[in-house]
Order: sequence, then C-alpha cells, then structure tokens
Amino acid sequence: MERKLNAELWDKMHYLFRDYNDRMVHVRLDYDFEIDTETLKTVLICFFEKAPVLHSSFHDNHVSPYWIVKPYRIDDILEVSRPDDVESAADAFLTQEIPPENDIQMKVALFLHSGKSTLCIVENHMCMDGGDFKYFLKAFCKNYSEYAEKGVSPIDLREGSRSYDQVYQDFSQTEQKMAKNLYKNINAKDDHRFPLTPDSIRDTSFIAKRKISAEKLAQIKSSGKKHGATVNDMLLTAYFYSLYEIAAYNPYDSVSISCAIDLRRHLKDVSDEGLTNHTAWMQCRVPERGQDIFATLQYVKQSINRFKHDKFMGLYGLPLLKLGYSIMPHAASEEIIKIGYSNPLVAMSNIGILDEKALALCGNEPTDGFMTGAVKFKPFVLLSATTLRNAVTLSMCVRGNDEDKQIVEHFFDLMERNLDTLTSE
Amino acid sequence: MQSYVDYIEMTFQGEKDNGTLYRYKRQLLDRMTARAAEITHAGLRDEKVLYDLVISEFPDLPGDYRRFCEKDRLKRRDKYFNRLMIFGTPIVAIACVLVFLAIGFLTQRWSPAWVLVPDGILIWVIFLLSEGIRRITRQRQLFHPIARVMLALAVMCATVCVFLIAMAALHLPDAWVLFPFGVICLYAADAIYATITKQKMRIINYLIYIVAASPMVYVLLGGLRLVPWHPGWLIVPFAVLLDLIIIAGALANNAKYKYKPELEDAWNEN
Repeated sequence: MERKLNAELWDKMHYLFRDYNDRMVHVRLDYDFEIDTETLKTVLICFFEKAPVLHSSFHDNHVSPYWIVKPYRIDDILEVSRPDDVESAADAFLTQEIPPENDIQMKVALFLHSGKSTLCIVENHMCMDGGDFKYFLKAFCKNYSEYAEKGVSPIDLREGSRSYDQVYQDFSQTEQKMAKNLYKNINAKDDHRFPLTPDSIRDTSFIAKRKISAEKLAQIKSSGKKHGATVNDMLLTAYFYSLYEIAAYNPYDSVSISCAIDLRRHLKDVSDEGLTNHTAWMQCRVPERGQDIFATLQYVKQSINRFKHDKFMGLYGLPLLKLGYSIMPHAASEEIIKIGYSNPLVAMSNIGILDEKALALCGNEPTDGFMTGAVKFKPFVLLSATTLRNAVTLSMCVRGNDEDKQIVEHFFDLMERNLDTLTSE
Repeated sequence: MQSYVDYIEMTFQGEKDNGTLYRYKRQLLDRMTARAAEITHAGLRDEKVLYDLVISEFPDLPGDYRRFCEKDRLKRRDKYFNRLMIFGTPIVAIACVLVFLAIGFLTQRWSPAWVLVPDGILIWVIFLLSEGIRRITRQRQLFHPIARVMLALAVMCATVCVFLIAMAALHLPDAWVLFPFGVICLYAADAIYATITKQKMRIINYLIYIVAASPMVYVLLGGLRLVPWHPGWLIVPFAVLLDLIIIAGALANNAKYKYKPELEDAWNEN
C-alpha cells in the first residue's frame, strides 16, 4: 500500500515559489581525503529512510496536495565519479533542478580527485530549509564518522512533525493565541530590482561566488563592534550600498531587502522536530542611501533592531497563509495567495556558520565549502552567505547569461570595496 | 528474519497470549520484513545496520500493542453492531407488530396501542443513527458534517416519537408544540456536538442557531400560553441582540490577544 505524507504549509508555499526560483538548496564541501563510497551509501540510505519525504513524489492534487513515498535505489541518489575538471563537474551538478514530481528529492555527488573529495548535495527546498539542511549535514558527518570508526549504525537523525505550527509550541497559551492572531500581510511591495538582463530562453543556471577571507571577516567583526553592528548588519549594509551603486537608484529612494529569518529561534528544543522548513522573511528597509556607507549602516541597524525587539519576529502572516490554504481547495488558494503575496525582488539569506568541526568526516575537516539557496529566476535575486573556517562565501544563484554573470561579479566587486570602506575606519 | 522474531519474542516475553498477541506479532513481523526488503532493495548491504534501522522504526512495541488491542476491540465491537443492525432491524419490526397485536387482542384497546409500532421502529432508527454518529465522529473532521446531519435526523425522530405518544396515547391538545421544541433541540444538539468535537468557527453556528431558534421559542411559549403573543415577539429581536452581545464579547476577548509591536511602525515607514 502506498504511503502518503501530508504536504505541509511550507511545502505548499515553496511549491508556489516555482514561478520565482528552482527551489533547490545547494551545498558543496571539499575534503582532503577520499570519502568511502560504501560508507557514504549506507549513511545516505539510513537518512533517506529516516526522512521519507526525501524519497517522495509531490502530487499537486487540486484539493489537497500530498507526498507519496516512493521506492528508490541508492544509485538514483548518489553519483560517484573521478572527473578531470572538478569545478565544472560540481557546478554542473549543483545547478540541476529536481522536479517535485520526482521520486527522490535529494541528489548527492561525490567527486574524487587526487586523494581529495568534493561532496555536492542538492535538495528540494520543499523538504527542508537551510537551517535543517545544516543540521542534516552535521548529523550526516557525525553518523558517517561513528559508523566508519566504531561501526555504530548511522540512524541518529531527528524525526517528528514537519508542521509549520511547531514554531508556536514553546509559547505560553496567551502568546500562542496572540501569535496565531497575527493576520498581517507583511509583503510591502518594493519595485527596486537588481539590474539583470531581460529574460531569455537561452539563460542557464549559474552559481556566482565570492569569498571573503578570514582576515577580512575578522576586520568586519571588529569594525562592526565599534559601530555596534553585527557581521550580518555589515554585510547587509554593503549589500544595500552596492545595490544603490550597481542599479543606480536615486540615493533618496527608500529601498528594502528581504532577509530570511530562521523561525526555530522561537523553539527551545528542536530534537523532536522532523526535517522541514521554518524560514520566514523580514523586510529590512532603509529610507534613503545616506551620505555615505556609514549612514546606510545606521539605517540598517535601526531597521534590524526594530525586528530584534519583536517577540513574534517572523511569525507575521503565517496565520493568514494557513487560513488561505485551509478554507479553499489548493488550486484556488494558490491563486488567492499569489494575489496577496509579492515575492521579494532582492533578498538575502545569511545561512550562518558551517562548523568545520561538526562537518569533519573521520576527523578530516572540510577545507572549503558553501551552502546556497535556490537559483532565482530574473528579476529576483538572493544573496546567500555562509561561513566556513572563518571565511565567508557570498553566493548568488541566477538563471541568466554571461552578461548577468559579469553583472553579479561586478556586484561582488562593489560588495568587497564597500566592505573595505566599512572596515577602513 | 530470525533476528526480528527474536526481538519481538524478547519484547513480549511474559505477556499473556490470548490470540490477539499472536496476531499482533505476526502482523508486526510482516511489517518488519517488508521494511527490511524495501531498504535492501534501496541498496543497503550491512545486515547490522539494516536490523538497527528497522528496529528503530518500531520504538515503542508495548505501546503499539496497546493501540493494536484497542483498535482490535473497536473492530470487534463494530462487527457486533453490524450484526445487530442487520438482524436487529427485521426482529425489531416483527417484535413491534407482535407486541402491538398482543396488547390489542388482550386489552381490545387498538387505538393507543398502534403507537407501539412506529415508536418502536423510530427508537430503533435513533439507535442506528447514534451508532452511525459515533463511528463517523471517530473519523477526521472532514466527515463530521455527515454525523451532524444524522444527529439532526435522530433528534427529529425522537420528536416524532414523543409527539405520537403525546397525541395518540395521552391526547394532549398542545402536542403540536413538540415540533418547534424539536427544532430547538435540533439546534441545541448540533451546537453541543460542535462544541464537544471542537469544530472550527463554531461560534458562527451558535450565532445562526440563536436567531433561527428564537421564532421557535416564541411559537412554543406562545402556544403553551406561557408568554402572550404580544409582546412575546420581542424574543426574536432579543435573540438578535444576544447575537450582537456575543459578537462584541468575542471581539473583546480576541482583542486581549492582539499584539501591538513596535514592528507596526517598521512596516508602515516609508
């Protein structure tokens, strides 16, 4: 008998985002040793069995969509090869799209090259967000190591509810009622866009990256401290300032960037949660560019601080979405939600630290790596930031052409220059 | 497979086997071996890992067994009721007719005795409906509207039943008031059902029922001459007023849970 899984609210939302992005989350980790293929296969099978949504096919039922758990073979998931050019092999692998109707929702590639390994994973954002993907990777590495070194069965992966309303569970009764009453559409529309070229059917997906060195990050941290700002504030400020420059916005225009928030901040203990999405957006807005980048920083800090002091940060609009999906059949609710929802044109997701110690495989820490969000379709853009070994990797996944690539690279140049200015004082 | 058998036997060591346990163990073993086959098909070769993985999917066997027993008990109960319904219906019909004939022949009072036949059948129908309501209520809320329709039918059957006794056996002149009373009971029963089963938006049901029941209360009290027809009609506007009070109360209660963060300014700043 086929096993069905409920399509949760965020699964449906990310499915709705199919018009804006390819819904894939990407990660790449480089190791200075050869990962054992058989061990890797065993751990992957165990994890897929523990999280059945990873081997399920999404059914867009017009009334109520659902997942159907599908049989699979490990070879459908894992691809092992020894390519001549690892970079292009990794890029080609990472920019693929897994359709939600596919039988598996995560693919892994292991590229072996001169005693080193490059592990690439792509997964459907409908299954889990960056927060849980990070947990997945940590659990994966821990289980791999314990299995390889001590023979412990690699079955230690969180299981539980994937429901969106888990975020309310640590609130008091009154707080829960308050949070569930936040019927507010928080999508203030902002027409400022990233200056990419017009859409074309020749466009292909690419991941543009720029690394900020550990030394530079240390400078950002210490300069941020002087200005009472976090690394995130500093990056966001550079993002805003570079955006004003590259897109030539009027300096007196108010511009907003949507920032991803991990809603797990409202949970004390996530050990009984299943792998899922708990990410919302907050809109960081500056009223104008300001005279210099330091003025922009002040605006960013003001905007962010308002959110930080909010007890229900990120929970606005969730009850409205829930209502939208509950009172109507799925096909109708999608149309209605599309009317009220405006996808942010410019966004940022600070995925955070990829802990090299937690990501060590049998004591071998990753030498390099990054995680990045979905490939956005023009005109939408998302800047992702991950920190590994104290170095930040900025990445932007775009479906575009060579000119777009150059634009994004130029944007990264501006980001770097503006970060230099920020840290110069 | 032997390892799964050993695991199951060890877990239920000392548990009294009354037949249910055997069926549970057999079903459990089938589930475990099916899962093991699926995972092996996926490509897992390490037997120890396979065993640990399958066992980890059945973490609380005693609890699972208790649920199995409860499900089994309900299944057997349903089976019993199914038989009762199939064989009981003709038996009740025949019994009602026989009792009616017996009383009729013995007392020669055919007139009130006939009530036994429709009332007997109506009581049986109410029993069948209540069994249906019980079963449907166990299912998801999606199916509860069916139970609510059945509840309304059961209330109306009960009303007709009482009406027949009041009219044919007791010859009460005001027996007709039982029908508006039945409608009031119908609304009340549905409101209680909505409350017990925690239906969403049930406050809307309450508001509709208060207004819809008010003319029935008016007719009932007027018919029984407990309240004069004029100004008894004020019951209806009073019901509307009561609705407004409930709405105001609900809004006031909701306002207690309204969160007014500094955030409002953030969204609105431009």
